[in-house]
Amino acid sequence: MYTKIPTVVNSGKNIPDLNIVHAERIKQYKDNNMLISYDKYLGDYPEIKASNYVTEAWNIGDLDGKRYSLPLDIHTFQMYYNKDLVKKYAPKALDDNIVTFDEIQAAGEAAKKDKITGLGVTWFKPNFLSLYAQYGGKLTKNGTDVTLDNADGKKTLEKYVAMYKSGITSRDGQDPAQLFQSGKEIFYPEGIWMQNQVKAAKFEWGMINAPQLSSDLSKAVNWSSSHQFVMFKSKDRDAAKTKAIMKFIAWVRTHSQEWAKSGQNPASLAIKDDAAYKKMGQSFLINTPEEQATMKIFDYKYNGFVADSLDKHVGDAIFGKVSIEKTLQTMQKEVQGKIDKDQANKK
Amino acid sequence: MDAQVEKNNIKHVKKDRHLTPWLFVAPHLIIFAIFFLIPVIFGIYISFTNWDLMGSPKFIGLANYKELLFDNSSVFYEQLRTGLKNTFLFVVISVPFCIIVPLLMALALNVKPKLGKFFQALFYLPSLFAISAVVIIWNLMFNVAYGPINNIFHLKTVWTGTQPYAWIAIVVVTIWWTIGGNMIIYQAALNGISKDYYEAAEIDGATPTQQFFKITLPSIRSQILYTVVMTTIAQFNIYGQPLMLTNGGPDSSTSVLLMYIQQNAFGSGQSIAGIASAMAIILGICIMIVSAIQFVFLRDNSR
Repeated sequence: MYTKIPTVVNSGKNIPDLNIVHAERIKQYKDNNMLISYDKYLGDYPEIKASNYVTEAWNIGDLDGKRYSLPLDIHTFQMYYNKDLVKKYAPKALDDNIVTFDEIQAAGEAAKKDKITGLGVTWFKPNFLSLYAQYGGKLTKNGTDVTLDNADGKKTLEKYVAMYKSGITSRDGQDPAQLFQSGKEIFYPEGIWMQNQVKAAKFEWGMINAPQLSSDLSKAVNWSSSHQFVMFKSKDRDAAKTKAIMKFIAWVRTHSQEWAKSGQNPASLAIKDDAAYKKMGQSFLINTPEEQATMKIFDYKYNGFVADSLDKHVGDAIFGKVSIEKTLQTMQKEVQGKIDKDQANKK
Repeated sequence: MDAQVEKNNIKHVKKDRHLTPWLFVAPHLIIFAIFFLIPVIFGIYISFTNWDLMGSPKFIGLANYKELLFDNSSVFYEQLRTGLKNTFLFVVISVPFCIIVPLLMALALNVKPKLGKFFQALFYLPSLFAISAVVIIWNLMFNVAYGPINNIFHLKTVWTGTQPYAWIAIVVVTIWWTIGGNMIIYQAALNGISKDYYEAAEIDGATPTQQFFKITLPSIRSQILYTVVMTTIAQFNIYGQPLMLTNGGPDSSTSVLLMYIQQNAFGSGQSIAGIASAMAIILGICIMIVSAIQFVFLRDNSR
């Protein structure tokens, strides 16, 4: 879809009246003058306001003092755990509702003799970014150039390499999802959106924050993204259609149950009062303002380049095929090279 | 008066004759123009520009080509080298197998064994699958823990994550997927060879090996030439197998050029369509040169 959007918007024909896009895309669309601001229309909908939505999801749509998107959800990369295995190998790990890397290491060591994996090595991008941010790493300092090849990047990869070398994680070529489903893995970091697959497991499982360095919740980071409603510039969207769009978004704010049932966390805080939602696993991320603050959307405008690079190279470092130094240098050069090209395009 | 009418009629018929062939080729020509010619011309134009698919392309002359071919500090220079090297390596390893294996199968089927039709269908079947389905099947086969390959042979090989196994896996999947097409062509060709040649050869005391090299191979040389060229072109365009089996790893050793082209033009980030187009044109030129060499070499040899 993302490759078709620019073509469709540039053609000026058959532009959808309302679109859902990922949070990380919005800056790029705004920079290319493709979006319409909601400011003119929000006056009639006083309930569509910051205090009624999860802050991180709401803030994404505010660019240069104008509102370009309204949030549908915030979806987080957290951690599934096998209740029986936690009871056996890490009985105290869940006490503070945070599982630290140290606790995972200890559980993994204890479980090794029974051929149980401590931690699944899953999707590289969110795992890397979440830990990188915990170390204080920033993807950019000046808003344009990328900063990956630094001490925080090194510490992030070192942590994963050390865990892999110690033998407590899933191995290269193993499918961490399969290990978890078959009851042979204690901790399985994955998105809340994977719940419907995890449901098939024949044991009791739970959901908790992604692995953290510290058990202090105020320092926790959970990689997140958000689906956002945007209106692309279109001459065919008349006043009546815009009115209907606003009405729909306002309706979604108070009718997010179905979206929540799919495993997602609606961005609207109205869901917090819903009894059925409170029982859903992913609700722990929304229930308290402290937990909400752990969700971080990496909205750097070159996030896409970073994502492609992380997913391609981080595995080589973790599985010991390429040195940490070389991996960071390669990613830095690859992403910066693409940024320079994009910048040259803007001159 | 009559002469004038006749003259007009002849003119009319001549006009029709001019038009008729065009009408026959029109459906193909229109599709060819829309889906091939115009995109190719547009692609060549884009390769001379800087373009992010959003704004309008900015003409920069040969800058993309200069960067790709001569600027060794550029990340795209490295991508082109790595991508081309891996693509050529794949072509060199896979094409001989994609010719020889189907040829052996066609030869086996040509002696009309029992259940021949069944095996013919079985060998052809994989060609009908989409590459994504093929790779899902083979990912299960190559799975480290649960895969039948490792379990049957008591191995612990990480097929898709270590070399040379990653290439072996990609080539095996490719052969399995593409056997059918060439096999059918060879079967048809083998059927067309007159039995008289073999009978005469047998009387002269030729061994089966001699018969194969002196009769069979020369008789199907046109089909071999055609399949070698077409298979080479097809394998240059390798994409799905490394993307889904190895994601270009380990350490970019199976990152083929089309993967870089796709990611630069349609990756998760902003599009770098100019450079991607220039890479695609360079790949196209490589394919043309290699095909031309094959054509000349094989045609001369077969005279």
